[in-house]
Amino acid sequence: MFTMVKPRTFGYFFQSAGSSLVRNSWMTLASIGTVAVALLVLGVFMLLAVNVGAMAAQVEEQVELTAYLADLNNQQRAQLEAELKAIPGVALVTFVSREEAWQRLLEWYGDDRGFLAGWEDDNPLREAFALRADSAFRVGEIAAAVARLRGVEEVIHGREIVEQLLAITRAVRLVGIGLMAGLALASTFIIANTIRITVFARRREISIMRYVGATAWFVRWPFIIEGLVLGLIGAVVASSVLAWGYYFAVRSLAAAIPFWPFVAPWPLLQRLALALLALGALIGVVGSGMSVRRYLDV
Amino acid sequence: MLEFRKVTKAYPNGPIALNDVTLSVSQGEFVFVVGQSGAGKTTLTKLLLREEKPTQGQIILNGRDITKMRAGEIPYLRRSIGVVFQDFRLMPNWTVEENVAFAMVVVEASPRLIHRRVAKVLELVGLARKAKQLPGKLSGGEQQRVALARAIANQPAFVIADEPTGNLDPETAWGIVKLLLEINAAGTTMLMVTHAKQIVDSLRKRVVALEGGCVVRDEERGVYHG
Ligand SMILES: Nc1ncnc2c1ncn2[C@@H]1O[C@H](COP(=O)(O)OP(=O)(O)OP(=O)(O)O)[C@@H](O)[C@H]1O
Ligand SMILES: [Mg+2]
Repeated sequence: MFTMVKPRTFGYFFQSAGSSLVRNSWMTLASIGTVAVALLVLGVFMLLAVNVGAMAAQVEEQVELTAYLADLNNQQRAQLEAELKAIPGVALVTFVSREEAWQRLLEWYGDDRGFLAGWEDDNPLREAFALRADSAFRVGEIAAAVARLRGVEEVIHGREIVEQLLAITRAVRLVGIGLMAGLALASTFIIANTIRITVFARRREISIMRYVGATAWFVRWPFIIEGLVLGLIGAVVASSVLAWGYYFAVRSLAAAIPFWPFVAPWPLLQRLALALLALGALIGVVGSGMSVRRYLDV
Repeated sequence: MLEFRKVTKAYPNGPIALNDVTLSVSQGEFVFVVGQSGAGKTTLTKLLLREEKPTQGQIILNGRDITKMRAGEIPYLRRSIGVVFQDFRLMPNWTVEENVAFAMVVVEASPRLIHRRVAKVLELVGLARKAKQLPGKLSGGEQQRVALARAIANQPAFVIADEPTGNLDPETAWGIVKLLLEINAAGTTMLMVTHAKQIVDSLRKRVVALEGGCVVRDEERGVYHG
């Protein structure tokens, strides 16, 4: 069917679509705006998911476990240390006193330590043994063995954090996709409405086209292109805002949360922009297709 | 070239507009279709363009039954027939030139051909000097000639003119008819629906008279009233 239109005729189609876009400038802006918002929401959630995922991947690499202790005397502590060292796969065992833990916390927060003020005299931290596994794969089994030992109150290790981070990633993705699906539907209908108005404005031209022998596709193309252009411009707007926002956010957040492994803007943003463009094009074509089918009985 | 075989058209919830019409027109003929308002003349042209389908019967154009055409073939059917409508059907915000060219853009003619051909048909209908004007600035007769120029732009072998002199003074009407005769003389089959008694009577061409949807008269060298 598509081959019934000669390539050079597309010049006419683009001109035709362009004049409609300019003539209905308010609807054009409204359509572009809704598409942009929908894609922006999707993009924000995707960037969040990617960065939480990166944290999960980093934590997954870690071979460290922390065993928090009940109140133990020196002898009990020494015995526990020996038992920990005997667990297969444990490479290093270091005692962390409550004071050391406090110092680490202060260092961790660096210049932002202000909010810790007032806690110094009532140190809420527990003493712990920091363990290092000889491989990331054994962290799970070591944690289980450590948890069975007397005097160990709790074992924290990367695996659990990884699970939690992955759960967050999934949730962020789901919410993002859910929100986006709703917004995409809304923008599809807005585009459909814009095209409906164009079809109505051009009904005279269309009927003349039909009388002088225009094929169905010849009549449809300008409207499809109009929808496509609306979707693509919306995607370009969303991608630009996201790119600018992401550079800005990463720069300021990297200082505030130095331990977070933010994903580099490139090529992440390029991929995201391509995905948004594809989605914008789809929204535009589906939206105009709906109106073309309904109001343009050709 | 064209044949109506026992064609009946009943509009849904409407009158029987054509009743068992059998009619044949050969290549290069000039035919007047006359009859009172509501006799079914416009219905005849609508069936030819497949704007409407007959309730019964066949319409054969160049050996093909157009009542059996698929939707995808209809544009090509319409390209083979040039139509001049009584109400012109021109785009008011396009120039004369653009209105005529549009018929050729739609069939995807090359820009060079469009340019040449538009100049030629505007010359033929005597509107070369008004090519850049908007239809609203033209008289009724001039607009009718723009519509005619558009109808013949793609060189159809068959032209239908539905009351092309409807609202025109006699002199202007004659100008249009002379053009139709010239186009016909060049080999184009011409079907002209008209109420203009004076024109029909003085030309003595073939006349097909409709009454209440039936062909009541079909004469070579006929007159308006039988
Ligand atoms: N779309 C339609 N639906 C229902 N009835 C219609 C329709 N079009 C035409 N008719 C009826 O069919 C009959 C023939 O109409 P048609 O338009 O063919 O007449 P006509 O000969 O062209 O008349 P006129 O000289 O006034 O143009 C009329 O009674 C008309 O009311
Ligand atoms: Mg009529």
